Amino acid sequence: MNYFADSLLAALALISSFDPAIYRIVATSVSISLIASLIAACLAIPCGVTTALNSFRGKKTVQHLLNTLMAMPTVVIGLLLYGLFSRLGPLGHWGLLYTPSAVIIAEAILIFPIMMNLTITAVNSADPRLKPTLISLGASPFSLAYHVVSVTRFAILAAVITGFGRAIGEVGAAMMLGGNIEGFTRTMTTAIALETSKGEFELGLALGILLLLIAFILNFALSWLQGTKS
Amino acid sequence: MTNAYQLSDIKVFHSKSCVLDIADFTIPSGKCIALLGQNGAGKSTLLSLLAFTTEPSQGSLQLFDQKVTAKLKPEQRRRIGLVSQQPYLLPGTVRDNIHLALQLQGIKSSNIDQRIEHVLQQLNLSHLANQLATTLSGGELKRVAIARAIAYAPDILLLDEPFSHLDHHHVRQLESAILAFAKQANKTVIFSTHDHPQGLAIADETLNLHAGRITNAPLLNLFHGQLQQQLFKTRSLIIHVASELTDARHIAIDPREIIVSHHQLESSMRNSFAGRVILIAEETTTIRLTIDCGEHFQAIISPESLSKLNLVIGCPVWLSFKSTAVTVF
Repeated sequence: MNYFADSLLAALALISSFDPAIYRIVATSVSISLIASLIAACLAIPCGVTTALNSFRGKKTVQHLLNTLMAMPTVVIGLLLYGLFSRLGPLGHWGLLYTPSAVIIAEAILIFPIMMNLTITAVNSADPRLKPTLISLGASPFSLAYHVVSVTRFAILAAVITGFGRAIGEVGAAMMLGGNIEGFTRTMTTAIALETSKGEFELGLALGILLLLIAFILNFALSWLQGTKS
Repeated sequence: MTNAYQLSDIKVFHSKSCVLDIADFTIPSGKCIALLGQNGAGKSTLLSLLAFTTEPSQGSLQLFDQKVTAKLKPEQRRRIGLVSQQPYLLPGTVRDNIHLALQLQGIKSSNIDQRIEHVLQQLNLSHLANQLATTLSGGELKRVAIARAIAYAPDILLLDEPFSHLDHHHVRQLESAILAFAKQANKTVIFSTHDHPQGLAIADETLNLHAGRITNAPLLNLFHGQLQQQLFKTRSLIIHVASELTDARHIAIDPREIIVSHHQLESSMRNSFAGRVILIAEETTTIRLTIDCGEHFQAIISPESLSKLNLVIGCPVWLSFKSTAVTVF
């Protein structure tokens, strides 16, 4: 008990002392996840809105595929991208392995199906009269999508936040593709795994607390958005 | 006179069942047309088809003598205004909603404010201009939806059940707004209603829909059953008809062709049923009686006839009508 309590106190001391090593890791983690979320959102929102607003052959298959990809283990994505980015892989000459870019790509791929699926759900949950109303008022396909996104923006933002939450908590692909290099690709989750294995429980715990804090802030933002929507 | 619409061999299927089946039909422009029919007759489907928000499963439509292929061109879309049964207003104020409609129709931004003010005044909505759409009452919401639809001056205004769930006062307000629009040159108004007298009161023409088909039958005193040797068997009556159709499943009797009397008449009329008055309703210039003869019949008589016959609720009466007054379809 003393061990845990002492470690917790030491972790809190590390956080309150604004230890630069800890906050560098937090900054790396947040920046990688933010960029990954931004890239995924830029692709997933248009794809999700287009899928939701149009009927086409294979639409159900697309949704089944997205549901499957949402449950895909992160290490599988890490493994596949490792094969692509490793020196002998087809994209090895890009030199992306063990760089933040590789982690960003992996996280963006990981959260794309989540964001796209939740965007489809967000658009489908809009009032069923919205689309026919806009069409009858003369909306072009682009302005239809624009106004649908505008009406469902809180639900779509919730999809982006959920994706960000998934990205910042990701460990498997970040470890395999980033290599956990200090000050470069070391994220909060990979640092926790490393520090705990080294016996540096306090540092791991401090990062764990900060990760929980970020998760709490995200959930708070989600609840606020849902409250605003309703 | 040009045609607003020309429908050819139109069929619409929902879950493999045919909900609309119109062989060939033309809707002239410049008319106010009431689309009559019971719930499920296909009125909303026909209106959404005419608004090009639903595509037919089969057949083709012409809009102002131009065939519409895949999607409407913006200049064709601008000619149609649609107000659905439960109109949807986007988040924002009344003004925002009308502004959006004008913007989507590509109206020059310098003309938008002027048009908004004009349409708000036209529908007596100026006091609601800055009110949020979510705070409007049912009647206000429908009037705003009409204002939004006519703001860009379409040639055709389609209204799905515009008078449903409204009180008398709001119905009158809406009627005036629709009539004011219809009075303008070359404007076509098509509105659906299941209230037959109301349709007759404000429309130039009526279009009767039954089970997805356009029919000439009046759609009042509508009964379902089977026809055998000029006898139509409903659930509880046998009615003489003049038709020899064998696959007919419905009949309708014009309420003006039904004679109401205290005693059975000795006449050439082949249908005569005893019943009792269960409803007396005053309409604009006539009285509508509902009489229970095992089936509910509606008969239209004059106020003078009502006072002469001294009819009251529960009063026993006889109904008589000719077999030729029965439309079989």
